[in-house]
Amino acid sequence: MLHLIRTEWLKIKPYRAFWVMVGLAVAIIPAGNYIAAEITSQIVSKTKELIAVAPYDFPLIWQSIANVNSYMTALFAIPMIILVTNEFTYKTHRQNIIDGWERREFVLAKLFWWLALSLLAFLTTTITALVLGLAYGTHPLSFENFEYLFYYLLQVLLSLGIATLIAVLVRRSGLAIVLYLCYIMIVEQVLVLVLKRNFGEIGGLLPLQTGDELMPFPVVGKLLNNADHYDDGVYLLILCLYIGLMIFLVFRRMLKTDY
Amino acid sequence: MPILSLQNISKRYGAIQALSGVSFEVPKGAVFGILGPNGSGKTTLLGIVTDVLKADTGTFTLLDAPPAARQRQRIGTLLETPNFYHYLSAYQNLQVAASIKQQSGQDIPRVLDIAGLTARQHSRFKTYSLGMKQRLAIAAAMLGDPEVLILDEPTNGLDPAGIAEVRQLIQQLAQTGKTIILASHLLDEVEKVCTHVAILQKGKLLLSGPVNQVLVREDFVELSCNDNTKLMSVISQHPAFDHIISSQEHLQVVFKQPVDPATLNAWCADQGLWLNHLYTRKQSLEKAFLQITNN
Repeated sequence: MLHLIRTEWLKIKPYRAFWVMVGLAVAIIPAGNYIAAEITSQIVSKTKELIAVAPYDFPLIWQSIANVNSYMTALFAIPMIILVTNEFTYKTHRQNIIDGWERREFVLAKLFWWLALSLLAFLTTTITALVLGLAYGTHPLSFENFEYLFYYLLQVLLSLGIATLIAVLVRRSGLAIVLYLCYIMIVEQVLVLVLKRNFGEIGGLLPLQTGDELMPFPVVGKLLNNADHYDDGVYLLILCLYIGLMIFLVFRRMLKTDY
Repeated sequence: MPILSLQNISKRYGAIQALSGVSFEVPKGAVFGILGPNGSGKTTLLGIVTDVLKADTGTFTLLDAPPAARQRQRIGTLLETPNFYHYLSAYQNLQVAASIKQQSGQDIPRVLDIAGLTARQHSRFKTYSLGMKQRLAIAAAMLGDPEVLILDEPTNGLDPAGIAEVRQLIQQLAQTGKTIILASHLLDEVEKVCTHVAILQKGKLLLSGPVNQVLVREDFVELSCNDNTKLMSVISQHPAFDHIISSQEHLQVVFKQPVDPATLNAWCADQGLWLNHLYTRKQSLEKAFLQITNN
């Protein structure tokens, strides 16, 4: 595996456009949450009697930031799509195999980036939460509710898994990005609403929605919660199964198809 | 030990049968040409050998063992077009190739020098001309001085000097005992550099074997006199006469055995015909190839 990572590093280290995209993603997480923290702190200070909770204070901050960042997984999915589709554009996926990689190794090399970008999102989120919590909070540092960040990590893994699957299926960066954004921003949202309206909480079991069900925004989530809501364990299990399914489908596609 | 042994390889793309039960062996140390017109299945065949395409049926062995990635690391391959990362320099692209082949990269300066790219090694691939891209692909194929080279149309995009250099390089490599599998639609390229050849047409193997046995070209004599109609009837009486290929401008006559031009000239004079044109020629390679593919 180290040999695969070394080769991937040789490919990507000089790729400036990729690092700019990753840099933006890393910068937007604290910036977006800073705005959210500023707004919520003003709301809390003006409505002290009505809303007694501060979303950007410990321990609620872990849940708040996980929820806010779950809307921004595309920041890391787009560089992921570009990394994968570049191989098809340049036909280097063929050359890597010709030069002596197993097809399985080619997929594993790409999954390294899937994992690395997901962990980077997780790490950036953790550090952002620590800094904002200490800056805006009145409570001391607490890791209570930290499990929400693990739910966020799983949702990022799934979101990047969906992006990778779309990338290996359509092979063109522009089309893959459009299809991915359409899916996460429109298609799944519409399906969730339709299913929830007609069939109940089963709509919450769609891929990215499983993560959303696990990470409602504090207070607001509780207000919207309904009695049909499954146990968190169900959403967690289904979310993990979706991640496994995406990886399986990526492998299946890349092992069987002509390059 | 055959370097490559193909058994009954078939491949279909939808309605098109790209390869149909192809079997042949590439002996060690051969410069093996895979010859065929565009679309005959050459690249598909090499794609299957390098695992970028999956055969529908059939098996093959590479370096006397079932195919695997570790064997491909020991083979230098240029398949169809140069495939490199556009944003990386030539040197960085070769570093990637060397890393996949599990080599140190020490050989990179040598192959860049052979390809004549040392001066431009730090330029990005996207700034290269077509010929430079092809040279870089040849350099990549030679990384680590592999014992076996697979070259698919290696002179594509090169200028005449580049073509001559690559052919010379292939001959030099062949002299060092390397096995070279060369796919080409250029007949003279195959004839000039190959020891063995397999001819493909519409996915079927027509012939394979040593070049001088597969691409047999008959000698013919080109002659003319003031009255070619009379010459035609007279020459058909020659004891060694076999057949006439063409009677346009000059008569092109094939004899059953080689005839000495001076003797032939004297024989015609004895028949009262004074030749004004007499030339012994070889059938063109194109004609020999067309005869094989038409049959």
